[in-house]
Amino acid sequence: MNDNKKLIQTNKFQLGLNRRQLLKTGAAAGAVSMFNINHAWSKDVMWDGEPFDADGATIRINEWGGFWQEFMTSNVIEDFEKTYNCKVAYDSSFPWFPKYVASGPKDPAFHMGNWNLNEIIKLGKAGDYFLSTEELKANMPNAADCWDFAFGSGLGVTWGFGQYAHVWRTDLIDPAPKGFAAFWEDRFADKRATYITSNGLFMTFFMTAAAEFGSGPDDMEAGFEAMRAAMPMKISDFTGNMQTQVERGEVQIGVQWEGEIFLQMDKGIEVAPLTWEQKPILTQTHTVSRYSDPVEKKLALALVNAKLSPEFQTKAGEAFYLRPSNSKASLPERLKNKGVTNTAGALEGLWIPDWNWYLDNEDEIVETVNEIFAG
Amino acid sequence: MAKGQVKVRRERSVPVIMRVLAIVSLVLLLAPVVVVILAGLNSGDHLTFPPDGLSLRWVVAFFRSGAFLPAYLFSLLLALCTMFFSTILGTMIALVLARNEFPGKQMARAFFMAPLMLPGIVLGLALYLFYLSSGLGLTRTMPGLVIGHVLVTCPYVIGTVNASLVGFDKSYEEAARSLGAGPLKTFRIITLPIISPGIIAGSVFSFIVSFGQFDVSLFLTPPDYNPLPIALYSSLRYTFEPTAAAAGIFAIFLVVVSMLITARLTNLRKLANVNFS
Repeated sequence: MNDNKKLIQTNKFQLGLNRRQLLKTGAAAGAVSMFNINHAWSKDVMWDGEPFDADGATIRINEWGGFWQEFMTSNVIEDFEKTYNCKVAYDSSFPWFPKYVASGPKDPAFHMGNWNLNEIIKLGKAGDYFLSTEELKANMPNAADCWDFAFGSGLGVTWGFGQYAHVWRTDLIDPAPKGFAAFWEDRFADKRATYITSNGLFMTFFMTAAAEFGSGPDDMEAGFEAMRAAMPMKISDFTGNMQTQVERGEVQIGVQWEGEIFLQMDKGIEVAPLTWEQKPILTQTHTVSRYSDPVEKKLALALVNAKLSPEFQTKAGEAFYLRPSNSKASLPERLKNKGVTNTAGALEGLWIPDWNWYLDNEDEIVETVNEIFAG
Repeated sequence: MAKGQVKVRRERSVPVIMRVLAIVSLVLLLAPVVVVILAGLNSGDHLTFPPDGLSLRWVVAFFRSGAFLPAYLFSLLLALCTMFFSTILGTMIALVLARNEFPGKQMARAFFMAPLMLPGIVLGLALYLFYLSSGLGLTRTMPGLVIGHVLVTCPYVIGTVNASLVGFDKSYEEAARSLGAGPLKTFRIITLPIISPGIIAGSVFSFIVSFGQFDVSLFLTPPDYNPLPIALYSSLRYTFEPTAAAAGIFAIFLVVVSMLITARLTNLRKLANVNFS
């Protein structure tokens, strides 16, 4: 490690002198600030996949809080800080979108993020914030073992996912519902539930309903009709609230994703998943900011790489019922006993919603659906 | 009337309708507090009301929580810092506004009270943008967060101190000055004790407001730190457990204690000019 450290420091010094000399002598006086020099260099940063001494640097990340933060801290971050001699500053105060936009791409609010794909794509439209999937693949050894769909967004790497499903009470519903469209059956009037329009699960539900009843997921009118036909319906804020309503029997069939349903099943609640035939997936996606300073950028790549490791993904599957995107990750028993497999066949037909389309039409969808929900 | 007797004027009794309205208002204000307390003592697994039964399990969970207890202590520290700075700044501003006549005084008063009228989200985002663009190094720092909280709590101190300065008899200060006391000594011995009820009330309000502040904290909180409102928000997104309500119990407890201290120290009769007898 000491030899490597010296090698890294020597290379860094030599590279740094050469680049800085070139840039300084090549630019007019005062035309190139140190700020720009660092960012010009940032674009060329590569990480060779080996641990390095970050000399106490601080990397800022945005990720979910609560139990999620506790899990990440104890399973990844503590070891990461020791291995790389760095500090991970963890921001769990969602929303992060305004913070990124306020800082701008060239001075990113965070060096690495874990959040929802719709927010990532929204930010990607606002500026050149993130490394592309090709750049990520080139800089993270564990990316080679990930399924192709993990890079399907174009902006980040999806490290965990789950399928959307209706959660339904097996003790309260007979006969069992069949298919996505069962949600609309008359027997579930006012006993079915979806989410507020700002919740990502609603967004996917809307697009899936549009695909089910219309010409495709972008058939907005079909989506609106589906929401009208589903009323009366309960509207939840978050998945935690949906869980409670289902467990209390106030909701007998609701929009969920399989991880939450598996959790309830393991707690002994009499529920089961009704996986949607269209197979949209809920994703957890990492981004790395393009214009971070070099050390922070390398740390970000290293941290994402750590999250792509099979060992971590197995633990995350155990804790959050998330399916791994690494083909070599073994599934925890609590996913295996639900019939989940980590094979190419299991991924067949999986669909990441078209967030670009949704974001382009979001205002109209939100306004119309809120009117429908308000009755 | 016989010599020496004092004519006592009987106060009119409060109309029944007003008493009813007052009771209804009190019930409406206190009902959420009761709901939170009972939800936090729920023996069931979820944050529901009415509770399934009563139990201290979620109170115990709060003390064992890796998220809520540190957040509670952080909010306490933040509120104490905010209270300290708000009290000093707010008192100074109130004194200047009450004691001086200058062009634009009303504008200045409106300016200092403006944070009360602006949405917290707007204030938080505006401050975040200001910190970023000014390069003062306050972005994502504890001082930056305290400044944001002082901004939203200072108007409370200004308001209460200003109220205690209304009708203040300056002749006391003049008398002290004429007897040789300097400005600081006069302020310490004469002015401060008279306006102390307003200062104490304002500082307690600033503590309470800071402790529960969410909007501003959302943008200004440094990484790795979570004020209690944000920790509650993060938790409720994913788990609907009564630990959040148990945390609420301790927040309510803190507010009640603060108000009791205020009542003890300030003698509320003087502030409200109400005869409780």
